[in-house]
Amino acid sequence: MALWIHISPGSSKPIYIQVVEQISEAIAKSELKCGDRLPPVRKLAAELVINPNTVARAYTILERSGLVSTKIGSGTFVSEPKMRSRDAADINVLAERMDNVIIRGINLGIEANDLVEMFKSRVAGFGKKTKGRGKL
Amino acid sequence: MSEVVLETEGLTKYYANTLAVDHLDLKIPRGCICGFLGRNGAGKTTAIKMMLGLLNPTAGRARIFGCDSQELTPAICQRVGYVTEGHRLYRWMSVDRLEKFQKAFFPKQWDDKFFAEMIEYFGLSKKQKVKHLSIGQRAQVSLALTLAPNPELLIMDDPTQGLDAAIRRQFLEGMIQLIMRQGRTVLFSSHILGDVERVADRIAVIDRGVLRASCSLEQFQKAVKKVRVSFTREVPTEIDIEGLLHCRKGDKEIELVLVGTDEKKIAEWTNRSKAQNYEIVGMNLEDQFIEFTASANHKHLFRWEQIK
Repeated sequence: MALWIHISPGSSKPIYIQVVEQISEAIAKSELKCGDRLPPVRKLAAELVINPNTVARAYTILERSGLVSTKIGSGTFVSEPKMRSRDAADINVLAERMDNVIIRGINLGIEANDLVEMFKSRVAGFGKKTKGRGKL
Repeated sequence: MSEVVLETEGLTKYYANTLAVDHLDLKIPRGCICGFLGRNGAGKTTAIKMMLGLLNPTAGRARIFGCDSQELTPAICQRVGYVTEGHRLYRWMSVDRLEKFQKAFFPKQWDDKFFAEMIEYFGLSKKQKVKHLSIGQRAQVSLALTLAPNPELLIMDDPTQGLDAAIRRQFLEGMIQLIMRQGRTVLFSSHILGDVERVADRIAVIDRGVLRASCSLEQFQKAVKKVRVSFTREVPTEIDIEGLLHCRKGDKEIELVLVGTDEKKIAEWTNRSKAQNYEIVGMNLEDQFIEFTASANHKHLFRWEQIK
């Protein structure tokens, strides 16, 4: 368990961000499902050979965004989608990131309609991955 | 700031006329792993030796658990583990003999089982003589000897110098395992910033004897920024942006290295200077360290003390 997180020191992304992003991605792909328990901070720190405070920092950020919630005494769990925060600022950030993809697409000469189709099929890909994935 | 286990106050050392450590004011809070960073000859080893009372300061003082480093009692020394550069051990001794020798200094707290397990984990035998061990194996023995008494404060001076990646990782694991026990603290110096990034949650940067930063790793990573600014006309001669460490000027482009300047301030400055656009360049810890210690004309300390 938990070895799917890969830490790359020497990246311009701090390690706590790497942990946040990889857990967020696992949740988006349903590799981690609603109600699944995240590994305890100390266990993950020992496995990844990183500072336990770094893991705790990552969990706090995930909790703040509503992706996980901590039950005192029993651990940190993936939240129900409806519990997750939909902050206007977060949505803005998302929109800006989409802009980057769109700009890249236009520069590659891809038509607007084709871009939309590409987007749809990628999103559907994430949907498919929710089925048939083993528990971690 | 939580309880301070190690602190220095105006700690200074001259070797003849050479200033090796210059008024070092450092505080290490309990429970952290602090990476002690500095280029070769920056004064790390000298500072560490003064902290441990192995070298007398020219001025100032250091304290471990509140006790002056020049007057450390055996009871205090027993709470501290120290790993030196190069892992010098008595060559004629076997690992077994070394254990007995070391254990005598920590009679009540020596963990026989832990030591035996570590030696086995490293694929070594207690019968082996130090003189027949490789540098990596000596380092492993030295790590086991230092961790077996379960030190409350572990100080390691460039412990992984010259070691292969696998043994370096074992040192990192050792630090993580130690810190997970209640109330343990680690200070270690290293030039391998990828290792520092993995295990440290705090760093202290020393540059030509002067403490330049003492803060959480996250604060340092957020604070040191490189910004590339381009202009349609010539670049301004006067660069008056807050937190400027140094800058490189090109024809129509400048590269600014900034400390603690937030993005809003950067945007404001580029606006005011009629820049065409700007880009914040991604930097890893190594880039940040190099840029941070590169400047000659900004030697003052910046420091954040808001630690949880």
